[in-house]
Amino acid sequence: MNNLNQEVSRKLLLVLAHPDDESFICGGTLAKYASEGVQITLVSATRGEMGRRMGNPPYLNRETIAAARERELRHACDCLGIQQLQFLDIRDKTVEFMDEEPLISRIEGIIHESAPDVVLTFHETLGGHPDHCAIGKVTAAACRRSGKQDYLYYISFGNMMEQPERYGYTRNDIVKIDVSAHLEAKLAAFRAHRCQSEIDEWVWRPDHEALARFGAHEYFIHAETVSPDRHNHYDLFH
Amino acid sequence: MKKMERSEVEKELRRFVGANVYVHSEATSYVFVRNFTVQLTEAHIAGEGPYRVALRFNGDGWLRMEALTDYEVDDQGRLLLAGFDDKGRMDVALHLGKEAFPE
Repeated sequence: MNNLNQEVSRKLLLVLAHPDDESFICGGTLAKYASEGVQITLVSATRGEMGRRMGNPPYLNRETIAAARERELRHACDCLGIQQLQFLDIRDKTVEFMDEEPLISRIEGIIHESAPDVVLTFHETLGGHPDHCAIGKVTAAACRRSGKQDYLYYISFGNMMEQPERYGYTRNDIVKIDVSAHLEAKLAAFRAHRCQSEIDEWVWRPDHEALARFGAHEYFIHAETVSPDRHNHYDLFH
Repeated sequence: MKKMERSEVEKELRRFVGANVYVHSEATSYVFVRNFTVQLTEAHIAGEGPYRVALRFNGDGWLRMEALTDYEVDDQGRLLLAGFDDKGRMDVALHLGKEAFPE
């Protein structure tokens, strides 16, 4: 019973830039923890309203895409088991131009409210897109100010962190999550982001073929260097 | 959106000539401007599809875009033009409205 209570009280906060980041990059991990009862809050800085992909064939335009992507994200959250979703209402592609201080304060407020045991965001330089790097930078600052830096991990793409040395990290900095039992949920979330994933033919192939495209693991970088004996390399909640 | 028809779009463009117009213009991945306001004096369309559109404004201004393929007049009377590639990805957009677009 105690164990169960402990499970229910675990919380994960995810601060990302665009609808679909959560599914395409770390959907398996989110589905896994949600299935274990972890409460997940997703904060998306933008609605991805400046994206190029408009469905294939296109069924959106620049003025309708924001509402459509929000709808798709809510559906993806259902697929993965994310219960809370909020937007920072920043225009897509402009996150790096926002005043940092108010943004850090807002994220601090969200950290305070959601009291997470784990915070996930983008790496400040390995994020791969200016909006990603910018939201990662302010989220990391908000974590430090909240005294939660030890709870912070950066998400990473594919299996790039199989070789952390190439990016200045060691194996000790990496948490490798086995998501092989949660790939169906990840695929459902990919399909929920229809206007973005429609162009990728493999997503819409029969399930067994589409699932074969996913790796069995997702990788996270611990923001703080921790001593090797304390660190669990296979679980974000150490 | 539907495939542009030159005469239809020309007619729609004409509605904005002489007006104070809010413009959203983008070459996706490279540049966008949102809520440029101009006093529109001329609007031109050229080509056989994809189309080119040029606007003259404020007495000495030009905005010219190409690779436009699709259009729509939305429920707020705004003229939305866009250019898509063969996989549905947007390359360019040009929107005209008489009110500001949401920021």
